Amino acid sequence: MGGVPTRSIVRAGLLGGAGAIYVALVGLYTKFADLELVGEQVTLGRVLIVAPAFVAAYAVTRPRVVAGERHLVALRGGLAVGALSGLIGAGLFAAALWFADWFGVDRIREVFVAITEPLVDFLTFDKGVPAGLPILIVLCAAGGVVGGFVRTAPAAIRRPASAGVLAVILLGLLQRIIPIVFVQLGFEADWLYERGAGLTWFGGLIVFVVAAAANALWNQDGGRTRERVRRNVGKAPAAKVGLFVAILAIMTILPLLLGTAISEVLGSVMIYVLLGLGLNIVVGYAGLLDLGYVAFFAFGAYTTGLLTGAFLNTTTGAATPALSADLNFYVAVWIVALLAAGVGLLIGAPVLRLRGDYLAIVTLGLGEIVSVLTASKWAQPLIGGPQGMRGVTKAEVFGLNFQDNPQHFYYLALAFVLLAAFVSWRLSTSRIGRAWNAMREDEQVADAMGVSTTKFKLLAFALGGAIGSMGGALFAVSIGSLTPASFEITVSITALAVVIIGGLGSIPGVLVGALVLIGLPGLLREFEEYRPLIYGGALVAIMILRPQGLVPNVRRSRELEDEEVSQDAWSRDAKGEAEAVAAVLPGGGLGVEREDLE
Amino acid sequence: MSAPEHLLELRDVAKHFGGLYALSGLTFHVDPGEIVSVIGPNGAGKSTMFNVVTGLYGPDDGSIRFRGANVVGLAPNQVTKLGIARTFQTVHLFPNMTILENAMVGQHCRTRSGVFGSIFRLPGTRREEQRIRERARESLGFFGSRLAGYREEQPASALSYANRRRLEMARALATEPALVMLDEPTAGMNPSETLELRDHIVRMRDELGLTVLVIEHDMRVVKGVSDRVVALDYGRKIAEGSYDEVANDPQVIEAYLGTKAAG
Repeated sequence: MGGVPTRSIVRAGLLGGAGAIYVALVGLYTKFADLELVGEQVTLGRVLIVAPAFVAAYAVTRPRVVAGERHLVALRGGLAVGALSGLIGAGLFAAALWFADWFGVDRIREVFVAITEPLVDFLTFDKGVPAGLPILIVLCAAGGVVGGFVRTAPAAIRRPASAGVLAVILLGLLQRIIPIVFVQLGFEADWLYERGAGLTWFGGLIVFVVAAAANALWNQDGGRTRERVRRNVGKAPAAKVGLFVAILAIMTILPLLLGTAISEVLGSVMIYVLLGLGLNIVVGYAGLLDLGYVAFFAFGAYTTGLLTGAFLNTTTGAATPALSADLNFYVAVWIVALLAAGVGLLIGAPVLRLRGDYLAIVTLGLGEIVSVLTASKWAQPLIGGPQGMRGVTKAEVFGLNFQDNPQHFYYLALAFVLLAAFVSWRLSTSRIGRAWNAMREDEQVADAMGVSTTKFKLLAFALGGAIGSMGGALFAVSIGSLTPASFEITVSITALAVVIIGGLGSIPGVLVGALVLIGLPGLLREFEEYRPLIYGGALVAIMILRPQGLVPNVRRSRELEDEEVSQDAWSRDAKGEAEAVAAVLPGGGLGVEREDLE
Repeated sequence: MSAPEHLLELRDVAKHFGGLYALSGLTFHVDPGEIVSVIGPNGAGKSTMFNVVTGLYGPDDGSIRFRGANVVGLAPNQVTKLGIARTFQTVHLFPNMTILENAMVGQHCRTRSGVFGSIFRLPGTRREEQRIRERARESLGFFGSRLAGYREEQPASALSYANRRRLEMARALATEPALVMLDEPTAGMNPSETLELRDHIVRMRDELGLTVLVIEHDMRVVKGVSDRVVALDYGRKIAEGSYDEVANDPQVIEAYLGTKAAG
């Protein structure tokens, strides 16, 4: 059908249905049933009903390679295939719902706690099982049609339409921030957002139109505007500086606009940016997969506590740790970083000979050791064991309180982030960065070309450790009391996810990764308990759709860009076009050297 | 030690992998300013010899001296720093780095900027970076315009096969070596590229004053460039001398063509 094998359609449909059932089983539907995105009708829960069918249809209408040729699915075929796969998925979903109703929701609930009467009511639109199912099926089929449309419609239509829909969903999700910003800036927000809920219908329409129009402008004349802007922003120094200043300005005023509650979220975003920047040196620059990064985070936090005169929590009250100093935070943090660099050397030394998987496993183990140590009886006289420590310094300076005022803390964290970003940037563009790069690409050859891999691996661990420990130090200041629960493997995984989703080796990528992974779930409290699920989903999606990350490293993006342009030129198969591209691309367009064509 | 020293000297070098003797009792030397070719059938131990000399493997026995200094036990980067640069049998570039950056990595062992210099871009570091760039361009320039100009900023993966080989040699030259070890530099090249490369090898000695040790299968190249030829088989040296001597050596002929029906 439409060039898509029937088996693939059926399989995609069934996977979509299974996806919907999974979403129901983990309780996402009930959780988000009332989160209104636009008006009262479009809730996140309802979007999630459509989503599995959409994704399935989008996936199954992908271009296929048949006998070495790339076949696109035509629009009409795409819509039909999408509808069919949506219907199949809906059938499975509806059958499951029917079964649940017949078997008894309460009996299923003993195993799957999320299967409840309200869930059934939600999925059948309050009409009960047989009566509401057609609505569900129609909705899923529509999701499939849209999925097919988004894949197969002409670019001039699908790109603006997709941008519009995504913008509406995103702004709907940001319903707790944007109205505040509007009010702070002195604008009315009532026309855009319902009070305490999602976008109004009118607001949604405006957002859609604006986003779609912006996208259309961006992509006009076959994406040439886009390419030009991208090239200039990527290369021209003035554009780069301008972009940097703009981002910095936004980052500076953001907490003032958003108020205390959201600044708290931003503060934890900044802590993870710091962790991400440190880990980026180890993983992104040097290519050493470190799964035990929490070790540095914990070391930084506890050492800061010890050096600045925090107390141990004990059953009989506060006690002074076995080793303790009473330094000013701004003195202590440099000592912490220096010591952490030493810990980096200690962790780096035993793993020097390991690569890839083995390195990851050993660092995972070392991280676990540190986690366990923080909770151990053995370390109790020093860092408090399970009861932890409290009374970490508030790092007060100029009357600013960095513990009780999230807005102040944000600025403290921002200062450290800027420092770490500066150090990362300068290193990455130096002889040292080049050595790391060579080592990451081919360790043995880098060694043979004169790069001391021992030295540069240790350097990466030491610098990464120092920056990570600063993240820990700031974390200690921000919450004031330390317990082992804050220093578990999830920290390592989250920091790694931030780096990967942002784009390995990319400094702006770390910021974007942290905003997406820490900021978004932090803004919507409903997401909180699904954090790991979201991380998992985001990682899988990124790996499939955009393996280079959201804001890839310049080197890699340049390459992928060239490849894309060459491919476009190739597929157009028009001489004039190819020459135009060849003129733009210094390498001569098609990835083939001129010399070799002669 | 008063006698004129060899540049590179291998004495009784042995290397075995499990029960397989890749090299045994290998003794030969390279003098300054020579071009020495190493020939031998596949599996004769030629590349293993390269790997042992450059520190990728440690030899199981024997001594290797470069300019009179012991090389055994050094890490590859230390050997490179002493002045031995190499290329690989299968091209090993840093594919995602630009062509210029590839060559700049070669300069690594001749430079010393550290963390603080890099973070604060101290004047010394900036000068050094400038010098790295110039030297890298010089090495790329050895191959004419092929690796120069706009190509500098292209990723190495965009190069044609022959140019990848050239870039690998330019990267080796950028380490400012005294001895260049080329592992089958003409493998996979077409006849005209092979001829051109033959000239490059000669120019490396005549213009850059380097000593060249080259593994080569193409006998026209071997004949054209070699001052001396060393033939290996089963990890042993079976012949050594001028091209004509070695080419007519019965053992060499036997190694390449097999024994006459022995019965």
